[in-house]
Amino acid sequence: MKGEGSTWLAAGLLSLLLVLLPLLGFGLLPGLALPIYAVNLAGQVMCFALLAMAVDLMWGGAGVLSLGHGLFFAFGGYLCAMHLLRSAYAATHKLPDFLLFMGHGGFPSWWRLADSAPLTLLAVLVLPALLAFAFGYVSFRSRVNGVYFSIITQALTYTAMLLMFRNDTGFGGNNGMTGFHAIAGLPAGGLAAAVLLASLSTAAVLAALLGGRALLASRFGRLLRAIRDDEPRLRFLGYDTLWLKLAAWCASATLAAIAGMLYVPQVGIINPSLLDPTLSLEIAVWVAIGGRGGLTGAILGAVLVNVLKFWLSAAAPTLWPFVLALLVLLVVLALPNGLLDLRNRSRAWLLELAPASLPRRRPAR
Amino acid sequence: MIGGAAASLRICRLGLVIWGALMCLVLSGGRADAAAYDRARLIGQLCSAEASDVLHGLNGMLAEAPGGSLADGRWALGVAQAFSAKALRCGPDGHGFLALPSGEVDAVSLAPAAAPADSRAPLPSLRARRVLEQVDAALRVFVAAKAADRLDAVRTLARHSEGVPANLAQTALAGEHDPEVARALRAWLVEAGLHAPDVAARLAAIAALGGDARAQTANQLMSLRADPAYAADPRVAAALDAAIAHVRFWLRIGDALSLLYNGLSAGSVLFMSAAGLAIIFGLMGVINLAQGEFIMIGAYVTFSVQQTLGAFAPSWIAWYPLVAVPVVFLLTGAVGVVVEVAVIRHLYRRPLMTLLATWAISLLLINLVRVTFGTQNLQFRTPPYLTGGVRVVGDFLVTWNHLFAIGFALLAFAATQALLRLTDLGLFIRAVTQNRAMAGCVGVSTRRIDMAAFGFGAGLAGLGGLALSPIYNVNPTMGTGFIIDSFMVVVLGGVGSLFGTALAALGIGLVNVGIEPFYGAVAAKVIALLMIILLIQWRPEGLIPALGRR
Repeated sequence: MKGEGSTWLAAGLLSLLLVLLPLLGFGLLPGLALPIYAVNLAGQVMCFALLAMAVDLMWGGAGVLSLGHGLFFAFGGYLCAMHLLRSAYAATHKLPDFLLFMGHGGFPSWWRLADSAPLTLLAVLVLPALLAFAFGYVSFRSRVNGVYFSIITQALTYTAMLLMFRNDTGFGGNNGMTGFHAIAGLPAGGLAAAVLLASLSTAAVLAALLGGRALLASRFGRLLRAIRDDEPRLRFLGYDTLWLKLAAWCASATLAAIAGMLYVPQVGIINPSLLDPTLSLEIAVWVAIGGRGGLTGAILGAVLVNVLKFWLSAAAPTLWPFVLALLVLLVVLALPNGLLDLRNRSRAWLLELAPASLPRRRPAR
Repeated sequence: MIGGAAASLRICRLGLVIWGALMCLVLSGGRADAAAYDRARLIGQLCSAEASDVLHGLNGMLAEAPGGSLADGRWALGVAQAFSAKALRCGPDGHGFLALPSGEVDAVSLAPAAAPADSRAPLPSLRARRVLEQVDAALRVFVAAKAADRLDAVRTLARHSEGVPANLAQTALAGEHDPEVARALRAWLVEAGLHAPDVAARLAAIAALGGDARAQTANQLMSLRADPAYAADPRVAAALDAAIAHVRFWLRIGDALSLLYNGLSAGSVLFMSAAGLAIIFGLMGVINLAQGEFIMIGAYVTFSVQQTLGAFAPSWIAWYPLVAVPVVFLLTGAVGVVVEVAVIRHLYRRPLMTLLATWAISLLLINLVRVTFGTQNLQFRTPPYLTGGVRVVGDFLVTWNHLFAIGFALLAFAATQALLRLTDLGLFIRAVTQNRAMAGCVGVSTRRIDMAAFGFGAGLAGLGGLALSPIYNVNPTMGTGFIIDSFMVVVLGGVGSLFGTALAALGIGLVNVGIEPFYGAVAAKVIALLMIILLIQWRPEGLIPALGRR
């Protein structure tokens, strides 16, 4: 398994972040305190990293590129927002505005689903996976793959966006849902909640990284890579690739839903813009920039691009799209496997420049 | 829509003008016989201290309005307007003068004459003012030079028609040569006929109304039918029922036709944006996410051509859509070739990466245009032959801009089909699409074919942008709206032939347009997507799959 070293490095860095977030967030270390927005930002970026890993699991793992993971991300987010609104209602007895506008006297009955936290968590784990299963089954069964599959996932997300933009869908329409009161008993928007959520997100990324690496290293992971490299051959060998792909696809959807669930309380709002095809495309861009197949690349890409985005869209808003576009073109053309490729490539370049000055590389196994 | 209808009747206008001129001759001959105003008596009545005399005089003017000659009409209009503006001066002897901005004149002869110092300026009473307004409008219907002025006058009269002579509308209609004013007059006549005391007149008006199938007429007829007092006479009720049935029938036909027409137009637009995509996808297995931006570039090039024409050859500006055709095709095609050479070519056999690369290109193009032109919608000077349309039946309006798009798509289809079937380039494109390796083996330069096809596809999308420019808002992000629908067309149609693309485009266009009125645009998209996903279960390679091994 390649990139073993980078996995441990990433895991170490994530653990360090996990320890530092509460310490710096609450100002427990003398002279070093992180402002709340930085904690929040770290948490958001971690959610994006989780989302990127979900895409990488499918793309790097099985060679199936989803351009619609925003759908599952938003699914988890909407479920979480429903739960937060229900608990806000239990505390304040004030109905959200969007329900009043639509003439509802109370929550529709099926919102009870989101009453208890464990049930909501269960819904986040199961419902997006069910949606992914239904869509994946009809697509993989008829052997829709490659570019076709990517395009259809994007169309699916786009359609979901149109649907959620409507006010009569009952999810807040284009204004979305906001007005969360408390998160796990901590006041929303407060420092404690921010630190908790950011730590949870980091922990989720860490867990997903370790779990995902174990998965990819297992027999299942090897079969996925076989699908990526030559699916027909695997089929001829007697494997039913449909179920292998479906399993990975559903796991990936669940991962994305968890990311959405953690993301929404941190930004305090959810609206259909999460379903914009552009976001789903950007996720793939993070993965492409970071490097596919090892999950660490996905984290690297998500962190790098999003930090750059947060910084540039404040500092030079008109410049950001150009930077992003050129970055993508550069990576796609010059570094086929993302920034992780830089290590291998730079070695080759340096060797070309000065063959004698570098220590010889161990022969590849 | 009103303006559009006016333009659409341009063809008839010449005939109408000739006919109108003839009628004018006939009428003016007739009018010479009519008794001219007794100007002195009229002025005397207006100058009278008795309110009843004034009203009498005004009513007389109203009654004479359809009969008098043009000169009489102008004179009467001048007097009426002066009276209402308090510019009528009445001498003690009952002699009238008009205080015009150019100086005072005698009210009867209009010769310059100073009003006596002890003359008074009578103020029309409220009742007189009402009649005065009618007089003013009635005279303007005949005298006013501007069609808009006459139209306004007709509308004023239709609002306050009590006391207006019954033959006024008929007479005015006979002399009217502006189609819009004539239509307003006819509507007024029908309106008046509907409430005429005479049953025969009512029946005629109902029949006339029934012959004009519009949603508005149906509503009017139905509200009359629902009025028990009006429909008391069985003959009237029967005529109403017949008219309603007739109107409803034609309305339904019109609705069906306009559905078909709108579906056709939406399908044409889809075809223009999807044809290039399908060719490129079939050839190279690459989905070009920047295809929508080629449409946008086409529209911007069209705009630039229009601006250039406006600056250097203003007399040609109305023909900018035609002048722009080669420019748009070549420029957008050149952009496509550059993209292919600089990016796509290096991503051969990595189709998923091309998705991201072309997305980056689309981002780049959108923002380049945004920085250069700004984000606001472009203001096209749509030529007159592309505005408006002609009402065919019911509420079905054939709008010229949509017809332009449909015709353009048909031409593009024919041209592309000819290129693919009749030229060497088309032969090579088909060969490479069917078997790239074998085509390369027999000496086809596949790289060059890729480049040419990509450029051609881009140029086609650019022409799509040109065809869209009179219909859609043109702004830097306009392309993003097309891209997903275009993919659906490619997925549905397969890449085997242009017919598949055209079929899928029309199908999706019709489904979208057909579902929209009943369940909304969003439901239309959802249903279209579900149908496509289900259809793929049955035909995974699309309606018409590519032949050969891939």
